[in-house]
Amino acid sequence: MTQPDPGGQGELAGPDEPQDLRARTAELFAILSGAGPGDPEHTMARDGLVHLHMPLVEHLARRFRNRGEPYDDLVQVATIGLIKAVDRFDSDRGVEFSTYATPTILGEIKRYFRDKGWAIRVPRRLQELRLSLTAATAELTQELGRAPTVGELSERLGLATDLVIEGLESANAYNTLSLDAPDQNDADSSTVLDALGADDEALESVEYRESLKPLLARLETREKRILTLRFFRGMTQSQIAEEIGISQMHVSRLLARTLTELRAGLLKD
Amino acid sequence: MGTNAQPAEVRLTIPADGAYVAVPRAVVGNLAARNDFTVDAIDDLRIAVDEACALLLPQATGGVVECVFTIDKPTLVVEVSADVPETWHPDTTGFGWMVLAALVESVVARNTGGRLAITLTASALSTENA
Repeated sequence: MTQPDPGGQGELAGPDEPQDLRARTAELFAILSGAGPGDPEHTMARDGLVHLHMPLVEHLARRFRNRGEPYDDLVQVATIGLIKAVDRFDSDRGVEFSTYATPTILGEIKRYFRDKGWAIRVPRRLQELRLSLTAATAELTQELGRAPTVGELSERLGLATDLVIEGLESANAYNTLSLDAPDQNDADSSTVLDALGADDEALESVEYRESLKPLLARLETREKRILTLRFFRGMTQSQIAEEIGISQMHVSRLLARTLTELRAGLLKD
Repeated sequence: MGTNAQPAEVRLTIPADGAYVAVPRAVVGNLAARNDFTVDAIDDLRIAVDEACALLLPQATGGVVECVFTIDKPTLVVEVSADVPETWHPDTTGFGWMVLAALVESVVARNTGGRLAITLTASALSTENA
């Protein structure tokens, strides 16, 4: 960072986002946060924001053009990501909207590819429950624009609340995949993640304790990224799951493990 | 839970030993799950309780940590407390504290004559108001 930049977040926010777009975006978010959901003003501002950022959506969808999916479908999927980003964006956080929206949109596209099928290796007995919980969580997250509650999951699946709780808890205890197991789209996802490349800056700016530095440096790229997104960008586990292309449960396990490791390391040093 | 509108309280005293932190973590997960927290928020609370205990454990002089979970729908308050040195206060600029602050709506630590209490507050479905 050579000079203070109000956008502040590198190449994605910079050239694609001229001043008037920024100003208009800020204006619309001000209206959005001022009006209650359901107000005509709220709806107008929301629509306006989506239209305003369609070029960003198209730009990102174009990156996935040569993968056998119709471009128009990709734009649709990416637009869902944009709408989610608009609904979740907190303008008080001091981050440029495009910086916030980009990972969400990419996450949506990647999930679209990932949902074409992936293997989960768990004991047979739990497989069905796990699969339906994962699927229902994804579905409901999409429908509600947030992660579902246990009550909503049990209603959707027609299962007793206790069974759902048990399923979620056992999911937390189980390793379905090796941490190092590559995603199906691994080559692609690492390209996308690399392209974003903002992790290290965010991490550096919050290293309050010198002793944390070597510990963070030892973390896997993905774990470091999850930690960054969760605590320094304020994304939810579901949002991270979408972005990284793994399930929310997996994100949860990785986070818990990473924090445990960091703590153990801090105590040791 | 049930039909009562009164705040419900669950109390737990665990040895000040890392091995027992899994117990309050499981309790908060279960309580949150039964009180309309989203699966994201449930995990956030689990990690937060973990983190609060981790801050407190090394300083706990009395050998025990006490956890009080109060459900006053839609709010869940977790107070984790222990006897600590009279002047000790958790480092609120540290990593652990930052994690806590990111995970729950509010986190407060107070040392009252050598009794340190970390109070975490979270609300069910708070994501809807975001």
